[in-house]
Amino acid sequence: MALIRVDHVDKSFPTRHGSIAIMQEITFDVRDADFLAIVGPSGCGKSSLLRLIQGLDRPTRGTIYFRDRPVEGVARGMAMVFQNFALFPWLTINQNVAFGLEALGWPPEKIGAQVERYISVTGLEGFEEAYPREISGGMRQRVGLARALAVEPEVLLMDEPFSALDPLTAEGLREEVLQLWRDPQLPPEAVLLVTHNIEEAIQLADRVVVLSRRPGHVLAEVVIDLPRPRDRKSPAFYELTDRVYSLITEGGTVASQGTASNGEGGRPG
Amino acid sequence: MPTVYPKGSPTELLGLLVLLEGHKGSEDVALLADDLDLEIDEIFPSLEFAEVLQLVKVTDGRATFTELGRKLVAASIRERKTILREQLRKTALFRTILRALENSPNHRLSDEELGHIVSFTTARADEAEQNIVNWGRYADLFRYDADEHVLVAVRRPSPPRSGGRTPPPSAPAAVAPSAMVAERKSTGADPPASLLPPRARA
Repeated sequence: MALIRVDHVDKSFPTRHGSIAIMQEITFDVRDADFLAIVGPSGCGKSSLLRLIQGLDRPTRGTIYFRDRPVEGVARGMAMVFQNFALFPWLTINQNVAFGLEALGWPPEKIGAQVERYISVTGLEGFEEAYPREISGGMRQRVGLARALAVEPEVLLMDEPFSALDPLTAEGLREEVLQLWRDPQLPPEAVLLVTHNIEEAIQLADRVVVLSRRPGHVLAEVVIDLPRPRDRKSPAFYELTDRVYSLITEGGTVASQGTASNGEGGRPG
Repeated sequence: MPTVYPKGSPTELLGLLVLLEGHKGSEDVALLADDLDLEIDEIFPSLEFAEVLQLVKVTDGRATFTELGRKLVAASIRERKTILREQLRKTALFRTILRALENSPNHRLSDEELGHIVSFTTARADEAEQNIVNWGRYADLFRYDADEHVLVAVRRPSPPRSGGRTPPPSAPAAVAPSAMVAERKSTGADPPASLLPPRARA
């Protein structure tokens, strides 16, 4: 069953000189236990798409479904991890993680244990009373992750979550995100990752939705069936990377849309 | 050998080990760096500290997992913390800091006192102190109170989590941290505390 279904979604913004199309005819599913990545050049509407999915904004045309119900208003069951961490500098790590639960109206007596659990699973024990400014980027993004996971989302939305980190830190954190996603004891069911980094998408995801330049449309859905951990230097990995690069660089026009998505065979079901 | 202080962050070190795992556990250091389009000196600090923590061996420009390094990569996020805690405890610097914490009144060390310990190493003080705090916190070896600028000892063995059972006071296993400190003090076997300036001057 599809957890999320993005169904023929258009988004455009009105300007004084007429409306500007950000994305057109976007259609894809996020399924149970999926790790889905969306890649595309900057300005293709990747982040706007996440906002639409979470219900922070509405499509101009088309519908987004979450568990078969149209998303209207901010959807429960999803939580977001941001590129710039989006932590409150005046709150401690504990308080930052508790924030989402408080906003959802959790009873105060239950918040403590929940925060402790997600502090622990993200490796943040020892930093509970620290402030964001005291900790490294890698630790800050763990806080972003703990805060999102603490509300036990069915789908974790990640908007360029590793882009602000140095390469080694990003590599370490990617592995831990995979570990959390694979743990059946823990949320989320599925991860939807938005990234401009093609290698990162192929390293992490089961499927990669490739978007074109603006107005963004789906060029292809590429299935990544390499065993994990994935070797970036393997020929199979290189071939996939190359294919996605070619799609993005050559597929900037609407004309290539149909053939490319057929050619990738991204829908086994 | 000079006392080695922590380089990089725990997540960076993990990144390096994950990278090495992607190369089947052994690779030329230059090729490892190249994998992430890094210069060799960008992975060197983490590599050096991974060697200090006995997770990796570097011979002839080639990094290879130790058994423990392999174990760490395969471990859960929580288990990784435990492994790193045990390895940090074995380093001279952390041993010194932990003893100093045990021996100081209130089990606290000020920034200045920590700086004094660091001054016996070859480290650049500001970077070293920041990294020590970061690693010590991560490994749950001590806390840091940023308002008061002090390291605070973590009480071990830790009390039971959710207010349930408390061990009987007479149980030999449940030695209170203060008792441990007293015992160590009475044996006089803690020269590192002498690294510290007298409290009156601090």
